[in-house]
Amino acid sequence: MLIWFLPLFLFFLIIGLPVFFGLLAAPGILLWMAGQERDITLLYRNVYNGMDSFPLMAIPFFMLAGELMNKGGITIRLVEFSQALMGHLRGGLAHVNVLSSILFAGLSGSAVADTSALGSMLIPAMEKQGYTRRFAAAITAASSVIGPIIPPSGIMIIYAYVMGESVAALFLAGIVPGVLVGIGLMVMVRLLADRYDLPKAERIVQKEQTISGAEFWSSFLLLRLNLAGVLLMIANGFGASETVPGWMVFAVMLALAHGLLIWMRRQVSHDFRIVCKRAVVPLQTPILILGGILIGIFTPTEAAAVAVAYAILVAFFILRTMTLADLPGVLQRAALTSAVVLLLVGAAMAFKTVVSLSYAPQILAEFILSLSENPLTLLFLINILLFIVGMFLDAGPAIIILGPILGPIFVDLGVHPVHFAIIMSVNLTVGLATPPMGLVLFVASSVSGEKVETISKAILPFLAIEVFVIFLITYVPAISMTIPRLTGFVN
Amino acid sequence: MTGVLKAVLLPFQLWNDVVLKIGRGIAVVAIALMVLAILIQVFFRYVLNNALPWPDEAARFCMLWLTGVIAPTAFRRRGFVAIDMLIEALPRRAGALLSLLLLFVSAAVLAIAVEIGWGEVTGFGGQFDTASLWVPASLDFSEWMRVPRSWMMASLLVGVVLLFIVNIELILRALITILGGADDLRPMPLGEEEIMAE
Repeated sequence: MLIWFLPLFLFFLIIGLPVFFGLLAAPGILLWMAGQERDITLLYRNVYNGMDSFPLMAIPFFMLAGELMNKGGITIRLVEFSQALMGHLRGGLAHVNVLSSILFAGLSGSAVADTSALGSMLIPAMEKQGYTRRFAAAITAASSVIGPIIPPSGIMIIYAYVMGESVAALFLAGIVPGVLVGIGLMVMVRLLADRYDLPKAERIVQKEQTISGAEFWSSFLLLRLNLAGVLLMIANGFGASETVPGWMVFAVMLALAHGLLIWMRRQVSHDFRIVCKRAVVPLQTPILILGGILIGIFTPTEAAAVAVAYAILVAFFILRTMTLADLPGVLQRAALTSAVVLLLVGAAMAFKTVVSLSYAPQILAEFILSLSENPLTLLFLINILLFIVGMFLDAGPAIIILGPILGPIFVDLGVHPVHFAIIMSVNLTVGLATPPMGLVLFVASSVSGEKVETISKAILPFLAIEVFVIFLITYVPAISMTIPRLTGFVN
Repeated sequence: MTGVLKAVLLPFQLWNDVVLKIGRGIAVVAIALMVLAILIQVFFRYVLNNALPWPDEAARFCMLWLTGVIAPTAFRRRGFVAIDMLIEALPRRAGALLSLLLLFVSAAVLAIAVEIGWGEVTGFGGQFDTASLWVPASLDFSEWMRVPRSWMMASLLVGVVLLFIVNIELILRALITILGGADDLRPMPLGEEEIMAE
């Protein structure tokens, strides 16, 4: 009887019932019909217990950090930095759009925030340079899906929590696939640049920019400390700390880093240097988050709280782009978005209990295995299924619904849980940019003023490359698994 | 008929305007306190080498209340994720009828949740205390008591009650729309916020 919850849930979903209510109504009705009213209380308890979780707290924190950074004026710094690096290439601003998305992804886990922040800045700039509006909107939407793939990522936190995986492992596993999507898009931009004769751009837009004292000294220190840290790791690899005290090695590395940077500053122009300096403070966020998790100082939740503190420090004291009056609005936006996600995750935990009670995974596993026993064929088929689901449903709810059903089947087939998590997350995240219901297509449309249908056509070449990357990630597990394995987060 | 419905709608609209605004204020404070609690935890554990017992539970307490008091605002602003393709594809009247039907389904879910939630808060589970949260029991701070678990559990109950009241407002609005009075309805208060979880 309980197995019918799945068709009933799908029916509710298709007729337009919000996912949160569908997740509770479908199993609730069947439990009531089966005379198991007491178990309906269990559903309620599981919603509550599902939300009462320390790891989940990372969701509101990362959303808040992203909001603070965005409001604090980091977007312009990232775009200027990307342009200084890639603007001179053919199709320069399209490359800048992709690189900005990769950098933005390290600060925010939201594709929607990426589209609206970068789109409102880059789409008009691209139009001014002669790109069509639909092309500018399409590359903005296509590149924004990198946001939830590269850590921090709300989707990965949800997956890790619902499926009992390590958030840190998923974060680390997402880095290379995210960068790969970016590289894929850049290759496509290069091909299209030749075909449509896309223009180059100036590397430096605003010449003779100034930088405040606080920002100058912050980036001065951060650059040297980061570089010294990297040099220290290399030196320790050669056993330097075994013979000399650690602080002494670090002091030498700091001096070396300073010398190296002084040498480098002579190689570039003053304007280029200022643009790079202005990007250092925002780009410290991903280093802080991932570095803290990797070294083992922070849990992901603590890293997220530290990211919020850093974002406040940056926006209020270093860049001074925010005032206290801006704070309630930012806090409210983060709270509002988090509440929707937290309720969904709570409902998902209740739904998950019913999924396991109903034997749905076993029945579905039998069906899937009857199609083929070859895991490679099944992974191909599952990617097609996920892609179709992603066309209609946002990534978060899709993961919440399908994770508990599909995850165990593929883990039994020998696919590593972290690898499967990445396949699913990347596929469904790309779904955010697929018509007819791609969330970021709608945002790109409202930011650019171009019709969704027009952007949907223009985005097809970029989607093709993203689908190619999905299959690459699927059939080459090393792409996602190498970093978590090397860092010891996956055995 | 629409006149009667509009009269019934008014108190619900007013309630949701006022109470949800207070809820948003509480949520702003709650998310700020969450960050503060976890930063205190990090500072004490890694800088002072002294792990405090309460920040974890205090932050979870705030997160649960944050969800309870601000989720109804998201529901009212149509921020709950749904596939509304069918509703939009149907003729206007049929779409409105389907919306109304869906609102009845969500109302039923919420009504049952309110009943169960009340039972949970006042029942056996709510009689225990939280592990590490204390509040003053007297004005001169000479006596302290452990925070009952029911205070934490009440967050979801308050959440579903507020969601239910929003649901009634949405049902009344849908009914007025079906009866042809949509033009007289006040536009739903949409903040500049977009729900951007993805």
